[in-house]
Parts: sequence; structure tokens; C-alpha cells
Amino acid sequence: MIYDKNISHQKTTCFHCGDECTTNKKISIGEKYFCCNGCKTVYEILNENDLCEYYELNASPGIEQKNTIRKDKFEFLDNLEIKQKLIQFTDNKTTQVIFYLPQIHCSSCLWLLESINIVDKGIIKATVNFTKKELFITYNEADTSLRKVVETLTKIGYEPHLSLQDIDSKEANKTDRTRWYKIGVAGFCFANIMMVSIADYVSINNPVEYKIKIFFSLLCVVLSLPVLFYAANEFFIAAWNGIKNKYLNIDFPVALALVITFTRSIYELSTGTGNGYLDSMSGIVFFMLIGRWLQSRTYKSISFDRDYKSFFPIALNVINNGKITPTEISQVKKNDIIQVYSNDIIPVDAILSKGNAKIDYSFVSGESLPIHINKGELIYAGGKQLDGLLELIVLKEASQSYLTNLWNNATFTKKQKTKATIYDLIGKYFTYVVLAIGFGSGLFWYMLGEKTLMWNAITTVLIVACPCALLLSQNYTNGNILRIFGLNKFYLRAADVIDDISKINHIVLDKTGTITETKNATIKYTGNQLSEENKITIASLANQSSHPASKLIVDFLNISNLHHVDNYKETEGAGIEGWINEQHIKIGSKNYVGGEYFSTNNGTKVVVYIDGKILGEFIISNVYRIGISELIQGLKKRFKISLISGDNDSELKNIKNILGDNSEILFNQSPQQKLDYIKYLQNGLLQKVMMIGDGLNDAGALKQSEVGIAVADTKNSFTPSSDGVIDASVLPKLNVFIQLAQAGKNIIFLTFCISAIYNIIGLYFAVQGILSPVIAAILMPCSSISIILLTYGLTEMYARKLHLNK
Amino acid sequence: MNQEKFYYDNKIPRLFAIACIFWGTVGMLLGVIAAFQLAFPVLNFSEYMPYLTFGRLRPVHTNAVIFAFVGNGIFTAVYYAIPRLLKTPMWNRALSLIHFWGWQFIIVCAAVTLLMGYTTGKEYAELEWPIDILITIIWVVFGINMFGTIFTRRERHLYVAIWFFIASWVTVAMLHIVNSFEIPVSFMKSYSWYAGVQDALVQWWYGHNAVAFFLTTPYLGLMYYFLPKAADRPVYSYRLSIVHFWSLIFLYIWAGPHHLLYTALPDWAQSVGTAFSIMLILPSWGGMLNGLFTLRGAWDKVREDPVLKFFVVAVTCYGMSTFEGPMLSLKNVNAISHYSDWTVAHVHIGALGWNGFMTFGMMYWLIPKLFNAKLYSRKLASAHFWIGTLGILLYAIPMYWSAFRSYFMMKAFTPSGQLEYEFIDVVQTVVPFYVIRAVGGTIFLIGVFLMIYNLIKTAQSGDFVESEEASAAPLVKEYTAPKNSIWHSLIERKPLLLLVLSLIVVGIGGLVELIPTFLVKENIPTIASVKPYTPLELQGRDIYIREGCYNCHSQMIRPFRYEVTRYGEYSKAGEFVYDHPFQWGSKRTGPDLARIGKKYGDSWHFNHMLEPTSMAPGSIMPSYPSMYENTIDKVSTNSKIHAMRKMGVPYPDGYEAIANQDLEKQAMQITKGLKENKIEIASDKEIIALIAYLQRIGTDIKLEPKK
Amino acid sequence: MSVIIILLLVSISIAGGFLIAFFWSVNDGQYDDDTSPAQRILFDNKKINTNKK
Repeated sequence: MIYDKNISHQKTTCFHCGDECTTNKKISIGEKYFCCNGCKTVYEILNENDLCEYYELNASPGIEQKNTIRKDKFEFLDNLEIKQKLIQFTDNKTTQVIFYLPQIHCSSCLWLLESINIVDKGIIKATVNFTKKELFITYNEADTSLRKVVETLTKIGYEPHLSLQDIDSKEANKTDRTRWYKIGVAGFCFANIMMVSIADYVSINNPVEYKIKIFFSLLCVVLSLPVLFYAANEFFIAAWNGIKNKYLNIDFPVALALVITFTRSIYELSTGTGNGYLDSMSGIVFFMLIGRWLQSRTYKSISFDRDYKSFFPIALNVINNGKITPTEISQVKKNDIIQVYSNDIIPVDAILSKGNAKIDYSFVSGESLPIHINKGELIYAGGKQLDGLLELIVLKEASQSYLTNLWNNATFTKKQKTKATIYDLIGKYFTYVVLAIGFGSGLFWYMLGEKTLMWNAITTVLIVACPCALLLSQNYTNGNILRIFGLNKFYLRAADVIDDISKINHIVLDKTGTITETKNATIKYTGNQLSEENKITIASLANQSSHPASKLIVDFLNISNLHHVDNYKETEGAGIEGWINEQHIKIGSKNYVGGEYFSTNNGTKVVVYIDGKILGEFIISNVYRIGISELIQGLKKRFKISLISGDNDSELKNIKNILGDNSEILFNQSPQQKLDYIKYLQNGLLQKVMMIGDGLNDAGALKQSEVGIAVADTKNSFTPSSDGVIDASVLPKLNVFIQLAQAGKNIIFLTFCISAIYNIIGLYFAVQGILSPVIAAILMPCSSISIILLTYGLTEMYARKLHLNK
Repeated sequence: MNQEKFYYDNKIPRLFAIACIFWGTVGMLLGVIAAFQLAFPVLNFSEYMPYLTFGRLRPVHTNAVIFAFVGNGIFTAVYYAIPRLLKTPMWNRALSLIHFWGWQFIIVCAAVTLLMGYTTGKEYAELEWPIDILITIIWVVFGINMFGTIFTRRERHLYVAIWFFIASWVTVAMLHIVNSFEIPVSFMKSYSWYAGVQDALVQWWYGHNAVAFFLTTPYLGLMYYFLPKAADRPVYSYRLSIVHFWSLIFLYIWAGPHHLLYTALPDWAQSVGTAFSIMLILPSWGGMLNGLFTLRGAWDKVREDPVLKFFVVAVTCYGMSTFEGPMLSLKNVNAISHYSDWTVAHVHIGALGWNGFMTFGMMYWLIPKLFNAKLYSRKLASAHFWIGTLGILLYAIPMYWSAFRSYFMMKAFTPSGQLEYEFIDVVQTVVPFYVIRAVGGTIFLIGVFLMIYNLIKTAQSGDFVESEEASAAPLVKEYTAPKNSIWHSLIERKPLLLLVLSLIVVGIGGLVELIPTFLVKENIPTIASVKPYTPLELQGRDIYIREGCYNCHSQMIRPFRYEVTRYGEYSKAGEFVYDHPFQWGSKRTGPDLARIGKKYGDSWHFNHMLEPTSMAPGSIMPSYPSMYENTIDKVSTNSKIHAMRKMGVPYPDGYEAIANQDLEKQAMQITKGLKENKIEIASDKEIIALIAYLQRIGTDIKLEPKK
Repeated sequence: MSVIIILLLVSISIAGGFLIAFFWSVNDGQYDDDTSPAQRILFDNKKINTNKK
């Protein structure tokens, strides 16, 4: 928590992490200052091992180390079973393991992590995959252990992210390289076929020697086979799947065109009546594959499919007869006694038996302030302990917990989107129309008795009217938009999300962590100067209450010697009162206290009343993200806006100011209620909803909505499963992003129209049977390339107009 | 214990660096001399000896710059960068040394034999067959060493620079072998297996790709390694560099035929060259931008660091050349540029700017590293940079100018339809440009001397680091879950793979068997009147080749009005079926000779060769007095005729035995004719053979019955 | 012009060789990470500097 205390700001920044050094105590080595002892320790370790190059590559590359890690945190890694599940491979001499290190962000990280063997001599080799933020480590079992490796990494500031998900699903590491092979094959064959074909085209008036011609034809056919049967197979497979499910998708006309082009080419080449269209065929396959690759480019370091498991620890300390044993979560049984440390997430529903529980539920419920739990009370899974060691008695196993149940709720598991896209619809009609024109003109020539012209017309129509242009314009437009979004720190799961974004008309916002900065509340005092005695009095009273606001006040006043309170009384949702040293004190809302200290501030106001006099008030407010108000003003003009929060309504006024009166604002919403609200918007009001949220409590709503966007605060923070991840710093640009997505749709439409014009011109000649094959063959790649260039140029132009280009 | 210690050997890169600078200086010096020779023919010293004439010197210059200067530059980079990129010393030190000394030996052999007049007469592939074999052996040694290093590497990833080196090695090996297909006649004399049009196509397929894979791709590798190193920042986009590499590799190989636009090469082959050349702009510029963008945001560094200055200009020149190249392959542009000084300018922007400056930049960065010293003088290096840039400008601008001037003069007609200018007028006009060009070259060379001084001082101020210690873990076998990729299944089906591979081997073997007969059959003349050369003409032709006449004279008339009017009927493919090798040439410093036969009398040629200005006042051609003293090598006639017949030239069986009789008979005839013009000469002198050849060129077609 | 057939076959087989090299490099995961290789080449000469200090 960051409180607005007046601390004298020294302008020194931490040598290690670059954060401002805020503590009064100077932590330094020579001229180098540090923000915390953690950072200093890392520096000392690096210095000892002659690794200070780390600081020369980039200025202050470190990760802040304010949270100290307890010594036995990784004891569970000595457990063989757990270890087996985490590592990739071992032969009991050397072991290979891959860690996910979300902290990786610069070349210093790369350098340090790959030099890790200097710190831990047992490590044989460490290789960073920067794009995936992964560290591949091979170590010698004789010299070190998994636990030691993890501890070493943690020591230098790179604590591996070990979570339950690592154990449960392990195939995440596989990368599909088939597309690369296909692009390679198509590119290779295309280049070579084109070389031979150009030779053929230009020799029309000056025929190439006969045997060279035959050789060329054979070469073309041989080279086109891998394109058709290997590189293009995904079009055939998709088309076939479509037919099996009794609908025509966009791949169907593509596949049909490919087959017809190939057959016609073979016919022409074997009869010597023409040069065929094998170059166009392979070229188009090549371009389409590149387009699909552009469109499917994923952000390897961002996972869109995290569920609650990736937030859960792998193991817990279970106390059994005074003995502490690290145990894998799935092995933790009901009634086991477990230990939970500061900053740990509690993975099971349990009852508090020992310790000072201060639980942060913001992630699960959206509540912005931590909650105190008394002994014997229930703590739900997903909460994070903030203060000291706890002992809990397990009530329900991890697989039975409230959170797991919530997650596994049928409504939370959104079905895979199977809806046919708009392009599939176009594809369907397209096929019918083309087939009709083709056979129509064929029939026409047949009636006239021109049999050769008939076949000519039918096939040429199908070749010329290739729907590839449509596919190309869609793939390249979306691919480029994805790229532009990515450059602007807005990452989408897949290209079809762009299509979804362009259709939304209702935006639902979460409050905590979305429009406000995560969990940070500010507290201020205005009014008469508080004497030291007053402060003690107020703190003593507030300390009696477990209300978050009270807790904030106590922390703010920072008093150690508290007084005894008599006749303490708490009125739920209003305030508290009591007697201290013969003084009557009331703290609470203005109605409860019976007065108001006049101030213009927004936020939750806690009025202070001592002995019949109102002294002043504490103002507790969320920190709204910069630019959020402007964003909402902008969005309001085009979309309906709602806000649903799991928090209480203390911020209602602030939010009303921002959102205006027409928007629906709901507080105290459970995750299920959030989800239901989205459902209501969709089914009841027939709205297309974009949900923007950050926490696990929004996960259901994010899944239910047409487009679920998760807000990520820092690079290494985790986001719930969603269609897209937006960096909090660019959230104010959301409106612009939506505009670009909509522009993308127009661009696709426009370019499709242009390609339709190409087609109509081509068809005009084709139906008459007079289209020369050379023209057709030149027209096709030219139209494809012009479409590609056009989509690229237009998206860039729009992006520039919207100031999304740097 | 898990780390392995090893040492990077700096001696080999140092050797190559020294060789590179040494040969570079020699090559450039020869270039300067050759440039001055064009302005001042007296510098050919042909009265004293035949070895330094332009026709012999120019191939030494081109070979020295390409294979000695740039070649050693490539090897410096390879032997320095590859060990560091792969975290292992070079595979075998003995091979490194064999490579180094072998390559230097080849260079010396090349220089000596070329000056002596041993040449195949094919540009940039002039070296004779024993040296060709030597090159092949050394290249294989280099390859074994490089791939050995790659296979024993400690770094899993092959950095993009290495890919460029690999591609260069593979492709150069292929080009060298295919183009050097020749039939030895004697030690140091051979004939190209290909004839006429075919030879031209193979030659320029080789010629262009030599530019691509000797002057470009390895230097791109160099750029991708040394530019980021010198700038101390990673390359702008590594992904782009990968795309750059693969697209360049798949496109470059087809661009060759653009060197033969408007020639007797079939139209379709010309167009293929054009199309692919134009497509090359994309990957080339991708690479250039990648290089330049690497320095984006570091321009302050560029202003200070001479190394980066050199790199920036080098990369810019690369961009200019790769833009100009495709433009030159457009037919209408090519009509102007071909055979003119434009090509010379284009090549030198590449050679001086791209290769030269890239090398200089590398040396300024590398030598201080090798000697663990600071560069002796940054100011001097900066001075070198400015002098070098000035040199390039002074070189290129007059060449462009001269190209356009001569083009417009050549094609100028008087209103009455006569050519406005004689060829000699054009020569006289461009000679001043040649002087400026030579000065530009000299200035560039002065810059090199500054560099040498600077680098020697640098080396003296430091201690040579013979080897650098490094350590890395060996490559561990990464465990990966079994995959279902094609690659994997291919390997699993080893028997099938084996079968396919053996089929390929058999196929190649079969081709090697078949190709010669295949080619021979092709040589059946399509023009009935075209006949094989007589023994005397053949000997004369070999003298023509020996003296490097093709360096200044083309034998290829393009179908333009001004060329046909000036030289005669345009050339047909069928005229060259007995030309092993073809002698189309690539530059017209002198007039085209395709129809020279019977244009002048024997005595004209006799006097012209002895004193060119006596017949053509203002001519810049050297004289060839030695031809009047040397006797024709009649001993070789037998084997020459034999070799020609083997390649399908239809000399009758047993003609070898009587060839010299025919030769003498024809020589006597020419001497007799000369005598009538009061010229006394013995009939066995070389000049007689040359006259016989010159009088034969392009005359066959005139004998064809008019339809 | 049969020589073009030879050139074609030679060129295509070389290009085919490069295609196989491309397959190998993709399969070997050479391009899985297109950020770190460019950074990595800058590290080695620095280590030497620090050792010397």
C-alpha cells in the first residue's frame, strides 16, 4: 500500500532497480545507493562473482527486491515427486528444466541469466528464450539441486514463476512449426516455377526450343506438386471439414480454385495448348500462407489462457505432529494444518487457527482493501495473506474449494467460438455466384456448339474469380492491425478478435485495478490540525474495528502506544464510536457523526468527531488511472457504458462524475453476478459486450462477453483468461484501438471490392472465352500483390491518423 | 568443471588481415596504373615488355581486388567471427594454415600467370585449369574447417552472419566448378567446354553470382557481425535479418542473364534475368535498412567513431548499388549502360564503397582488438574516411558523365543519316574523364596508405593477443518430446532417405556423363556458312585471348541502328558455335570487332598493332611489338585441334597431323600479301596469326547465300 | 541452349539444399527466439574487458 505520507524525497534512485530510494535510512555501498536491502544483496552477490557487467549493459536493470523471500520457501523442491513434475528430463546425472521468468526484460537479464553458472557452479548451461521469457537450464545433480538453482535465481532477483499450472499441463512448450515448413516449400517452389514461367511467357512470339519447353513444363509440374499436396493442404482440410459439417466456408472456394487451376494447367501443359497457371497457383498459396502466419502470430510471452491455477503455489507446508513437511497441493487433505506465509496465496478454503490474518481478496472479489479475519473464521481460497505467518486448518481440499467450484461452474467455461465468420458467409455466396457464372457461360458456349470454349470459360471463370483476394485482404489487414496493436502494448489472442471488437456496442468496466490503479488507495486528512493526543485517540478507536477504512486510518496515523477504549460500538456501514480518557469520539459517515467538514474532495469521507466538535475528515479514495476520464468521455459518445465492481460503493460519487447519469453502475457484485450481468446485457438487451477487467473475479465476465480484455499492470503481472491483454499504460488509447479495429473492417471491405473489380474485368473476358492465359496469369499475382500492398498501406495510414505509429 | 576452457586463435585472423591489406594495396595500385594507362598509353611499357599492357594488367587488378583483397577480407571476418559466434576455436589449425598459405599461393600464381598471358579469356574466371583445381582444393579445405567448427560448436544458435558465410561457401563452390568446366590442351592452356552463346550464359550466370556470393553475401555476414559489434547495440531487427537471408538466397541465383541484354542470348533468358534482378531490390534494401537502422539513435556515436562512419557509407553504397543494379537490368537502361563506363562506375561504387569501406571499418575495429591497443589516431582514420569518400566521388562521377557523353555521341546521326562521330572522337572526349577517374583512384589509394600507417602504429603501441581465453559449456543435447514433423519422420525412414540420396547421386553422375555429349550436339551450326577456324586463325585467336583484347573490345553488335551503321550487321547466336571461349566482352574502350574481318587490309592491321596511332590518330591502344618477334607455337596446334574436335568442332579425322601444313600455307599467303605492300616479315611470327584471326572475325555470315 | 537445363538443375539442387537447411533450422528451433541471438553476440568481448580490469 502506498499512503500519501509526507516523506522527504531524496532524489537518489536505486543503483540496482532504478526505483526511488524512499527510506530514511541510507542503504549504500560507496557511491551506490539502494532502495532496499534486497537490491543491495543482489548487487553484493553480483559484485562478488565479477558479474557487474550487468549494470553496464543497461542502467539500473534490476528488479526491486523489497519483498524478502523466506529461507525455506523452496523446500518443497526437494520433494522428488514435485521435482519430477517440474523438470523436462533427467538421467540422474544431469537435469534439464525450463523456468518461466516474467522478470526478463532487457539484455542485462539475458546476460546475467546466461552467466548464472558463475554463481552456481553446478549449472552447466543456461539459455534464455527472450521471446518466451523462459530460461532453459541444464545442471549437474552432483553439484547442485533443483532447489538450489531456484534459490540462486531468486537470490539475484529472478524468482521463477512456479505454479500449479506448470504441474498440471506441460505441453505448453510445443511450438508448431508446420507453417514454417509450408511457407518454405511454397516459397521455394513459387520462386522456381516463376523463373521458368517468365521464360515461357516472354517466349510466346519466339518459341523456346522444343525440348527446353518440355523440360520447363515438367519442372513446373514437379515443383507444383509439393505446393498443392503439402503447402496448401490446410485449405483442403478446412474445406472438407466445412462440407462434413454441411456448410461452405471461405476455404471451400479457395480449395476448389486450387484444384481447378492445377487440373487446367496440367491439361494445358500436357496437350501443349498453353503454359498453365502453376506459378499463380503456387504464388497465391505462398501469399496466403504468409498472410495466415502474420495473422496467427502470437505473443509468446503472454498467455491468454491462464486460469486460477497459475496463481496458486505448487506446495504448502503441512504441520504434522510438530513436523513441517512441504506437500504438493493435491496431496493436502481436509483437516490438515497448513502454514501460510506473507504474500502467499491461500489455495484452499480453511479456518484460521493462528496468526494475524490480513487477507487481500482484491483478486478474487475486487474488494480494494484488505480484510482482517479473526481466529476461527473462514478464509477462502484465492486470498493473499499480507502480514505474517498463519496457521490454517484445511476445510476443503484445493479441488473442492470455493474458487475451484466457481471456476468450474459451467457458465464460466465458454464454448469455443464455432460461429462462422463474416468471411465464411461471403465465401458461401461467393462460391454459388462463381459456380453459377462459370457453368452459365459454359452452358452458353455449349449451346453454341463451341465445346473447347465451353471448358475454357468454365475453368477460367473459376481461376480468375479466385476468392484468394478476399482471404488475402482479410489476413493481411488483420495481421497488420495485430502488429500495430502489439507495438502499442495491446495484445490480442487471435485475429478474429479484431472482427469482434469492431462489432461491440456496450462496454462494461470493472473498477478496482481497471479504471483505478490496483489496490492502491490514498488517504488524506483535511481539517483542523490534529494534536498528538488527538492522533492517539483516533488511532485507538479505529484500531477496534476491522473495517478496511479503519485499518487504513490506523496505518496512516502510525501510532504505537494505543489507549484503552470504553463503550465501543460499531454500526455496520456507518461508523464507530467510543470513550477514551473521558472523551467521546465518533468516526464515520456524515450522517452517523451528524455533521460534515466542508471540503471539495471526492472519495470516501470519514468524519472525525471528538467531544461535540467536528475536527475534520479523512478522505479515502482510489487512484484513478491517468487519462481514464477522457477515455470514458470518448467512449460514451459511441457506446453504452456500465461499471460493475466487487467493491463497496464508496466511490460512487467519483464514478458518477466520470460516467455520467446514463450509465449503469453496480457495486458489491460477486463474480457470478458480474457474469450474469453480461449475460443479461447479451440476451436481454441484445448487446455486444466488451468487458474490461483485471482480476480473477472478472474472469467469468471476461469469458462471457464478446470481447474480454484483461488489464495488465506491469509486464510481469498475471492476467485472467481473456481475448486480449492491454497494458494499463495504454488503456486510455482503448477508444483509438476500437476505431482501428473498425477501420480494419472497412479496409477489408474496400479491398475486397477492389478485388471484385479485378474479378469482374477478368470475368468479362473469361465468360467470352477470350482471356489469354498470359494475361490471366499476370493479372492474378498482380492483383494479389496490389491487394496486399493496399491493405498494408491503408492500415498504416489509419494507424498514423490515429497516432498509433511511433 | 562443467565449463570447458578454450582459446580463440588470433594469429590466423591477423595473417588474413595483413594479407587483405597487402593485396588490397597491390590490387588498387594496379587499378590506378591501369586507369592511367587508359589516358596515357605510354604507361603500358609495351616497347620494353609485353607483361604490363592494359589487357593483361586489368585482369590482375580485378582478380586481386576480388579474390585477394575481398577474399582475404572475408576470411579475416570468418576466422575472427565464427569461433566467437560458436564459442569454439576453429576446428583445425593446420587446415586454417593450409587455407591461408594456399590462398596466398594461388594469388601469387594468379598474378604471375595472368601477367605472362595465361588466361582462359573469361572475365573474373581467367585463371587457367591448374590454378582452378588448386582453388577447388583450398576452397574445400576452407569448407571442411568451417563446417568442422560448426559441428563442434558450443552455441546452439547459428547467428545470421554464419548463414551468410555458409551460403557463400556452398554457392561459390558450385559456381566455380560449373564455370570452370574446361578441357586442358596443355599445362596452362585450356578451352571452355561451352561454346558461344552457351559459354556466355554460363559465364554471366557465374559472373553475376560471383558478385552476389563473393562480394555481397559474405560481406553481409561481415556487416551483421561487425556493425553491431562496433556500434555496441544489437542489429535493428534480427527477424528481418533472417528474412533478408532466406529471400536473398532464393532469388539471387537467377539474376545472371541481365548481363546479356540485347545480345544474341535468347530473349526469354534475358527477361528472366531482368525479372529476378528487379525482385532483388526488396531483400537487398531490407538488409541495407536493417544495417542503417541499427545505428538509429546512435548517430552521435557515428559522428565520433570512424569505424561507424565507414560502415554507414559502406551500407549506403550497398543500397545504391543494389538499387542501380536492378535498374541496369532494365532493357532500355541497359542499352545505355552496357559496354560503357556506367558499368565500371556501378562496379566501383560496390567495390570501393561497399567492400572497401566495409573492410576498412572492420580493420579499424579489429586491429586495435587484436593488439589490445587503442587506435593510434582517430583523426587520421577520419581523414582516411573523408579522403576515401572523395576518392569514390572523383571516381564515380566522371565515369557516369563519360558514359552519358559517349552514349549520346555514339548514337548521334547527321541529318543526312551519317554517323556524326567516329569512334576515335568518342575516345578523345572521354580521355579527360579517365584522367580524373585515375586521380580519384589515386586519392582512394592514398587513404589506404594512411590506414596502413595508422594500423601499424596501433599494432606497435600494443601487444598482440595471440589467443583469447574463453569458456563455455559444451552443447547439451536438448531433450524434446518426440515430434511428428516431416523432418523427423524422414529421418526415421532412413532406408527411403538413403534411396533418395543415392538416386540424386546417380542422377548427378549421369548428368556429368551426359552433359558433354549433350552440349556437343548443340553445337551443330544453325548457319550453314559458319565454319571452324583454320589452324592459323585458331592460334591467332589464342593470341587475342592471351593479350586480353576482350578487356576493351567486344564482339557483339546489338540490334540498334547506330551500332549496325557503325559496325555492321548485328550478331546472331549461330555465329559463335565454334567459339571456345566466347569473346563477347563487356566493355568497349575500343570499337566492337564482331565485323572487323576484311574491313581493313592486312597491312593496316600490321601497322596498327605495331603503332596504333599511325593508323588511328588519338588511339589509346597499346602497341604490341613483341608479336613481331615471337614465333607461333606450332607444337600446340596438334593438341588444340584435337581438343576442339573433342568438343564437337568438326575438323576431319586425322586433321591434327596436317594442321600445321595448312597453318604454314595460310601464313605464307598473308606474308606474301604484306610483301606486296612493302612489308617484310617472317611467316612464323605471331602477328601473322593474329591478322589471320582478325580478318576472319564475322565474315562467315557474309558468305551465306542471299535469299 | 541446353546449357540452361544444366544451370537450372544445378541451381535448383543448390536451392533445394538451402531449403533442407531451412527445414533443419526451423526444426532445430533456431528461430524460436528472435531477440536474444542479436544481443548475445555483444556479450563476449565485454567479458574479456572485465577480466582484464
